[in-house]
Amino acid sequence: MRTVQPLLDIQKLFVNYDGIQALEDVTLAVYPGEIVTLIGANGAGKSTTLRSISRLIKPHSGEMLYGGRSLSHLRAHEVVRLGIAQVPEGRRVLTRQSVFDNLLLGAYTRNDTHAIAEDIDRHFTTFPRLAERRNQLAGTLSGGEQQMLAIARALMSRPKLLLLDEPSLGLAPIMVQEIFTIIQRLHASGVTILLVEQNATLALKYADRGYVLEAGRITMSGPASSLLTDERVKQAYLG
Amino acid sequence: MFAVGYTLIFSILRIINFAHAAIFTLGAYFTYALTGSAFGYNGLLKNSALPIHLPFLLAAVVGAMLAGLVAIVIERLAFRPLRNRGADPLLSLVSSLGVAVVIVNVIQYLVGAENYSYPAQPYGNLPTAINFGLGSQRIPVRTVQIVIFGVSVVIMLLLTYWLNRTKTGKALRAIAEDATTASLLGINTDQLILLTFFLSGMVGGLSGALIGSSVSIAGPYFGISFGLRGLAVIVLGGLGDIPGAIVGGVVLGLAEAFVPVQYIAYKDAVAFAVLFLMLLLRPQGLLGRAELQKV
Repeated sequence: MRTVQPLLDIQKLFVNYDGIQALEDVTLAVYPGEIVTLIGANGAGKSTTLRSISRLIKPHSGEMLYGGRSLSHLRAHEVVRLGIAQVPEGRRVLTRQSVFDNLLLGAYTRNDTHAIAEDIDRHFTTFPRLAERRNQLAGTLSGGEQQMLAIARALMSRPKLLLLDEPSLGLAPIMVQEIFTIIQRLHASGVTILLVEQNATLALKYADRGYVLEAGRITMSGPASSLLTDERVKQAYLG
Repeated sequence: MFAVGYTLIFSILRIINFAHAAIFTLGAYFTYALTGSAFGYNGLLKNSALPIHLPFLLAAVVGAMLAGLVAIVIERLAFRPLRNRGADPLLSLVSSLGVAVVIVNVIQYLVGAENYSYPAQPYGNLPTAINFGLGSQRIPVRTVQIVIFGVSVVIMLLLTYWLNRTKTGKALRAIAEDATTASLLGINTDQLILLTFFLSGMVGGLSGALIGSSVSIAGPYFGISFGLRGLAVIVLGGLGDIPGAIVGGVVLGLAEAFVPVQYIAYKDAVAFAVLFLMLLLRPQGLLGRAELQKV
């Protein structure tokens, strides 16, 4: 068994959405330095889980601990200060502000002007396509560029835990590959990642462990490599 | 100037705040009270006056701040609960209209429905009018109006700078575009919305005091008549566009000035004819660009 404390520990989470049970008894853990993926069909509750962690929705019951600290009484903007950043589904860049300002707002919780400028420069080096477009409105970027911007923006808060919601959604295959390369690089640099993906094959290839969500319940979990070869997972999600 | 406060809230929250008209009136009354002037013969506060006698300009600033505080209370009571429930924006509109009616009636209950005028010469020893004409061709413009115009332009420049160049301003624009994403970036949306209401209330209150010093405070419904014209002005300027609101105000003012004296009673009709034409011809506003639609 592990001796390390989980960075994120979710116990018996129940969420009601407009009277419908969206999550039922969800228990999952993310350990420091891991990539954990949450796979499942559309509407299984993957995004709901991430939205609960970011406190965008209030769970009905259950406990969420981050580094041993309860998230239950925090508001969305306070969670970011603790070191949890989310790249929401559909990217949600601020289309009416420049690429540069999007990154600047990613560092909203920080006050170290100098280090912020350095971080922006560093992201521009990693994402040269963003650097070329630094003064353009984010709405004019392509889908892949917006996804890069959304990830870079989330990193601007220097998170310990990064929540990624469907980063490959709607992107061209070559872009998807690029995004996953970025995810792998982040992982190597020590960021812990909870990844929600519909593209289960790809997600399981890059992840350490995985959970399978079905209609709001976790039905399977384990090392990503064994889920990848599991007959039931293969049949349902890997096609 | 009145329209700037309106626009500020609209640009951030996409809500028309009808209570803004009542806040405008309150700003005028607060300022009146702070100059130490006595209230009239009707209402609960008849013949009473505050023991302090602030000079007009100081009173206007303090009055504006009080109006800003009232705006904060309104946001907490009338808007935030609806927003948290994700209610239809139409409900906020009705809610703000309700608040406006309540405030107007409270004013009437307290101080009656008379007109009030500020003490003579609120701007000290400045001449009451300045001649802009040449030689024998006199074009006198009242000092009050120059002050109002100057203050409007300054406020517009400050707000525009604040919204576009500062961190808080950018955060506010982020809320305007997508409040959920803003909170995911660590922005305390409720707090900044409160700040928006305070600023909007201050601008509204200040314009109430200044315009009150130009004409007089024409009873508790003072702000409401301006409220409807203010609506025309912000549509003219392009909803949510602050420089547009100022330009819209000037254009509407000029349009009204061209109404011949014998038809002066139809001034409001002109305002709404302009509003109507604007919606037909240029719904994005005078300075506006067509909204970017992304597929």
